[in-house]
Amino acid sequence: MKYVLIVIMFCVCCGVGYFFSIKYMKRKRFWASLIALADKLSLEINFSRERLRVLLANFDGANKKNLLEIDERFVDFLDKKCELTNEEIFKKAACLKPEEKDVILLFLKTLGRSDVENQTKEIQTFIARFNEIKLACDVEQKKYGGLSIKLGIVAGIFCAIILI
Amino acid sequence: MLEKILPDNFHKILSEKVNMRAVNEIRLRADRPVVVNVSGKNFFLCESGVTSNVRGALYASKIIIEDVIFRASECSIYSVNEQIKKGFIVTDEAVRIGIGGNMIEENGRIKTMTNFSSCNIRVPHVVKNCCLTAFPYMVGEHGVENTLVISPPACGKTTFLRDFVYQLSERNLAFNILLLDERGELDQGINSKFTDRIAFASKKVGFENGIRSLAPDIIVTDEIGQMEDVEAIRYASSCGVKVLASTHADSMETFLKKPLFEGLLKEKIFKRFVLLSKRNGPGTFEGIYNENLARIYNSR
Repeated sequence: MKYVLIVIMFCVCCGVGYFFSIKYMKRKRFWASLIALADKLSLEINFSRERLRVLLANFDGANKKNLLEIDERFVDFLDKKCELTNEEIFKKAACLKPEEKDVILLFLKTLGRSDVENQTKEIQTFIARFNEIKLACDVEQKKYGGLSIKLGIVAGIFCAIILI
Repeated sequence: MLEKILPDNFHKILSEKVNMRAVNEIRLRADRPVVVNVSGKNFFLCESGVTSNVRGALYASKIIIEDVIFRASECSIYSVNEQIKKGFIVTDEAVRIGIGGNMIEENGRIKTMTNFSSCNIRVPHVVKNCCLTAFPYMVGEHGVENTLVISPPACGKTTFLRDFVYQLSERNLAFNILLLDERGELDQGINSKFTDRIAFASKKVGFENGIRSLAPDIIVTDEIGQMEDVEAIRYASSCGVKVLASTHADSMETFLKKPLFEGLLKEKIFKRFVLLSKRNGPGTFEGIYNENLARIYNSR
């Protein structure tokens, strides 16, 4: 019974560590996917010139999953006649920092508002900014994501030692 | 039709308090009252509908105009930039929106338009049977005559052309008709069984490609305004394809002064001229003329 409890405690501690590391992984994946989306928009706006709604709907599944529903909420906004707000767009994106949300909101607000040349330039500028944020996320993930898991394991071992 | 593009309050008033079937145009100008053209007359939009008194009129703003254009482009201005360069957008429901703003030119070519300051929303109508007065004069034993519809803007030229195509289809006159829809607004609501469509192409390209690829009996097109268009008509006529077209002029006298049509008139390519006005509302027949410019129908 004691050993079972030790194993359970160890797993719980590791789980908690992993849970805290997920946030960093999510953020990293989110920015990678957002860059992929921006790249696709830049390319498609130049070539197919398809409507924004169609481009967002055709964005590939794996990356779409990582976008924390921001793309879907933005498409919903396109159908409404209201102001694009932080609360609406980032309902499922609690892991993003306020200043990051502001950058994304600005990016979304510029979409569809200008001709091909200017739109492409604007998107490229945002891609550069997104890349900077993604690099910071990579560093964070390596630093704090790994640390959370390690701390979870250490806590698990510590609990096990106490219980023994 | 307009709910997607107009601000909610404007649309609510228009749909609830104004007879939309009689509305021809809605003009939005930055910081100016909204003007609605009802049955050929201009009124101001107000909370209770339309009024001729500017007091109580609703005003448009630059933000509203930009939003109307943004929504008309389905939130993708870049996708309609080629149209914007020509000064208008046509929505999927064939609502044509003329745009005023700053043209950006580079190396003598228009690059785009920015700083939108006004827009003119043309509400398309399907008026069944509006061409019937002219119909017997335009369709004879040898088929459809080359016809030019003449009128000032907003007098029902496009509506006339649409109805004519519809009437041919209704009578099962199985002519292959090519709609050369340069601005994407001609095709709306026609529902014809014998119609092909080439949209957003210039007259020159549309006539050449259309005749080569679709072998039409009749080409229907809107607003002849350049020498290139006249050459395209001449080319179609030489290929044995009938042409039904329209142009701007407020009377036959003004029309005859247009150097653009001098050659076509001499060659008698057009066999019928239909003159429209908005004297009794858009689509009023002022007269029908033959190739010798003799009046064969008089409305007065």
